[in-house]
Amino acid sequence: MKQTLIIGAKLALICAVAAVVLGFVNAVTEPRIQLIKERELKQALQAVAGEYTVGEQHIVNNNPTVQAYYPLRGQTTGDVEGWIVSLIGIGYGGEMKILAGYELSGEIFSVILMDNQETPGLGKKAEKPEYMKKFIGTGGADPVPTSKDQLSQEQADAVTGATITFVGIGKALSEGSTFVSELGGEQ
Amino acid sequence: MIEEFTKGLIRENPIFIIVLGLCPALAVSTQVVNALGMGAGVIFVLLGSNFFVSVLKDFIPQKVRIPAYIVIIASFVTIVDLSLQAFAPSLSKSLGVFVQLIVVNCIILGRAEAFASKKTLSESLLDALGMGIGFTFGLLLISFFREVLGSGTITLFALGNFNGVIRVPFLYSAPARVIALSTGALLVVGYLKAFFDWMVAKKQESSL
Repeated sequence: MKQTLIIGAKLALICAVAAVVLGFVNAVTEPRIQLIKERELKQALQAVAGEYTVGEQHIVNNNPTVQAYYPLRGQTTGDVEGWIVSLIGIGYGGEMKILAGYELSGEIFSVILMDNQETPGLGKKAEKPEYMKKFIGTGGADPVPTSKDQLSQEQADAVTGATITFVGIGKALSEGSTFVSELGGEQ
Repeated sequence: MIEEFTKGLIRENPIFIIVLGLCPALAVSTQVVNALGMGAGVIFVLLGSNFFVSVLKDFIPQKVRIPAYIVIIASFVTIVDLSLQAFAPSLSKSLGVFVQLIVVNCIILGRAEAFASKKTLSESLLDALGMGIGFTFGLLLISFFREVLGSGTITLFALGNFNGVIRVPFLYSAPARVIALSTGALLVVGYLKAFFDWMVAKKQESSL
C-alpha cells in the first residue's frame, strides 16, 4: 500500500514539474504565435482581395463548411463587388483552412490554402499558387471541379498522390460558391 | 566511450539496421528540407529525454517507468513544437503533424528504455547524439533519392535570392513520380537497408 502511494507520488511529481515547464514555454511563445497567425491572415486576405478593399468579418455559425465572409469593395465606387469566404475543407490530414475570393456571381477569382496537415511533398503542394489555377474561373458558368474526371489530363496527373486533398478543396470551394450566390450583392 | 556515439551512425543505424522509427521516416522523406527539420527535432528531443531519463533513473520507480518516460518525451516535443511555431513558422508549417508525432517515435522511447535507463549520463548523451545523427543521416539519404528521382528537385532552406529549390536537369521534366509516393518510399528504404546490411556484413567478414 505504502509502496503504491510512493510510486504514485513520484509520477505525480514528474508530471507537475513537466506542467510547470510547459506552462512557462507556452507563456513565452503564445503571444508570438498569435501575432504570426494574425499577420498571416491579414496578408492572406490582402493577397486574395487583390485590388479590392477588404471589409469587416462576418461570422457564419450554421454552416459546416463556411466559417466567415468578408465583403470586397471596389476602390473607387465603394460598392460591394465580391466576397472573400473562409472555408473548412476535409483533406487527408483532417481540416484544411481555405480563403477564397468570389465574384458576386459565385465565380472564383482567387484561392489560398491556409492551415492544413496534408502530407509534405504531396497534399502540401496545394499551398502553391499554381495549384489553384484549376479552380479559378469556375463556380459561375462552369461548375467547380470536385473529381479528377473534370480536370484535363495534365491537371489530373498533377494531383495524383493527393486526390483526397484535391477533392476536399474542390468540395469546399463549391459550397462557398453556392453560399456566395445566395448572398448576392446584399450587405 | 566514443563507440557509443559512432555506433548509431552506420553499424547500429536506427532506420536501416535497428529498423526503428520507420513511420516518420517514410512520411516526411518526400523533401530534403523536411528530413533536416525532422532530424533536428529528433536530435533535440533525444538529447533531452536521454539526459533526464539517465539522471532520474534511480528516482523513477520501475513499475511506472514507461509513463514517466512518455511524460518527459512529450514535454520536450511540446517545447520543440511551440518554439518552431513561434520562431520558425515556415518550417513548422511544412513539418505539420510530424513534429507532434515525435512523441510516439519509437527511436526515442527505445533509447530511453534500452540505453539511457541503464547507463551513465555521458554515455546516454553520446548515444542520443549518435542515434539522432544516424536517424537524420538515414532520413537525408531516403529523402534525397525520393526527391531527386520522384520530383527532380532538391529542396533546401530559402536564403536571400535563392528560393531553396534546386532543379535537377532532365529529371525535373520527367520525374519517376512513383518514387515520391508511399510505394517509392518503401522501395527506397528496402534498397538502402539491403545496402547497409551488405556493408555491415562485409565489415564483419573482414574483421574475422
